[in-house]
Amino acid sequence: MITPLKFYEIFEEKKGKRRKLFTKNLVRGRQVYGEKLVRDKGVEFREWNPSKSKPAAAIMKGLNQFGLKPGDKVLYLGASSGTTVSHFSDIVGEKGMIFALDFAPRVVRDLVMLCEVRKNLAPLLENAFKVDDYKDKIIHPVDFLFQDIAQKNQAEIFMRNVDAFLKKGGYCHLAVKSRSVDVTKKPGKVFNEVKAFLRERVEIVDYRELGPFEKDHAYFVCKKR
Amino acid sequence: MKDFKELRKKLIEETKKKIKASVKKDNLIIQAVNSIDEADRAANTLAKRLREWYSFYLPEFSNSIASHQKFAELILKKSKKELLAEIKLSPEKSMGADLEKEDLDAMFELAKALGGLYNYKEKELKYLEAAAKKHCPNVTALAGHLIAAKLISLAGSLEKLSAMPSSTIQLLGAEKALFRHLTTGAKSPKYGILHEHPLILNAKKSEHGRIARLLADKIAIAAKVDFFKGDFVGDRLKKEIEKRIKGDIEKNSRGNSKGRAK
Repeated sequence: MITPLKFYEIFEEKKGKRRKLFTKNLVRGRQVYGEKLVRDKGVEFREWNPSKSKPAAAIMKGLNQFGLKPGDKVLYLGASSGTTVSHFSDIVGEKGMIFALDFAPRVVRDLVMLCEVRKNLAPLLENAFKVDDYKDKIIHPVDFLFQDIAQKNQAEIFMRNVDAFLKKGGYCHLAVKSRSVDVTKKPGKVFNEVKAFLRERVEIVDYRELGPFEKDHAYFVCKKR
Repeated sequence: MKDFKELRKKLIEETKKKIKASVKKDNLIIQAVNSIDEADRAANTLAKRLREWYSFYLPEFSNSIASHQKFAELILKKSKKELLAEIKLSPEKSMGADLEKEDLDAMFELAKALGGLYNYKEKELKYLEAAAKKHCPNVTALAGHLIAAKLISLAGSLEKLSAMPSSTIQLLGAEKALFRHLTTGAKSPKYGILHEHPLILNAKKSEHGRIARLLADKIAIAAKVDFFKGDFVGDRLKKEIEKRIKGDIEKNSRGNSKGRAK
């Protein structure tokens, strides 16, 4: 049986100890990355795989707040080929809009194809560090900002975009890959440094480490002051 | 909401154009060199299978010939009798079984496919040589077209390669060893993909690190010249390397004898 979670438009199914996450499929009958489609009482759900998507992993690890709701305007940095973006697109629904940004032409190729199928997605092939390059191309302020960019200065990139585009009180999520920040340091130390950096600038409402779904990754849920 | 509809359309169009424009010669060279690598690996796997298979029929022949390519060619061209004569073995002494024609034909299909694969590799190498000479003449002059292409592949593009310091170029392809060194304090690697270079292959083991460093230095210069479309300086750089290697060795041996005299 598929039941709603406490977050908007995110569902779960419990079978013994196993727990699976789902979102309602916005485009019926279509898979995005080979995930399972499940019908329940006439509604089609897509399985949200926590090993392939960091927000799903964070929810599995017991996130208390998520903050994404139907109709939101979203800026998604580091969209890649659109695995996680597709689930966000399910959640915000037809009235929402997502600007999905990535810098690598190869993955944006797949992303564009996804955007053509899903009416609430718009692609951007830009460098997330150069905020001025795309500030005129998106509708801002946005209600929700997500970043998953494995870069050395990813926290700095995150804050730049939060400052430039997020509305006051809006939620912003950051997935940190400690090995991209500094391979020689222990992950916990890197996470603490990022935490200290963020604490001065935004309100951190939740923090999770993503093992065993993703190795050496941490997930921050923040709110703009 | 209406704004978004139009904006989305515009952005999809714009992104498509950008993706179209992002395809460069680099990408093609990278695909070609990776394809050659994979063809190599596939050919090796298939060749091992073919030898195993053929050895039921004529086990003594497989060991007599080292080259997979020649092996595949010969078993197609010559009969069992001719091959036995070639390794000077009388048919009675062979451990091979007599196989029926349909069984042999199945095996020969694999030999043909393998021959095709080697053929493909040769053609691709020729393309790569011409492309590398045109795209990055200086790096190619120093490192050869295969290593030049692999360097571009590892760096991501000629632009990225040209922006790299020589120390990074020296260790391209040795990332695993480098990060092992950084995280656990194991020995640092001396070279990555450059170890395939004839200058290093032919040198004494104690000289490997020094030559790799020298090569990487000059390749870093060459990459910059290539990316900014400068004049051809590959020959000069190569001569400098060779001179330095010679000089270093002489200096070194003199230094050593002094050391011993004390």
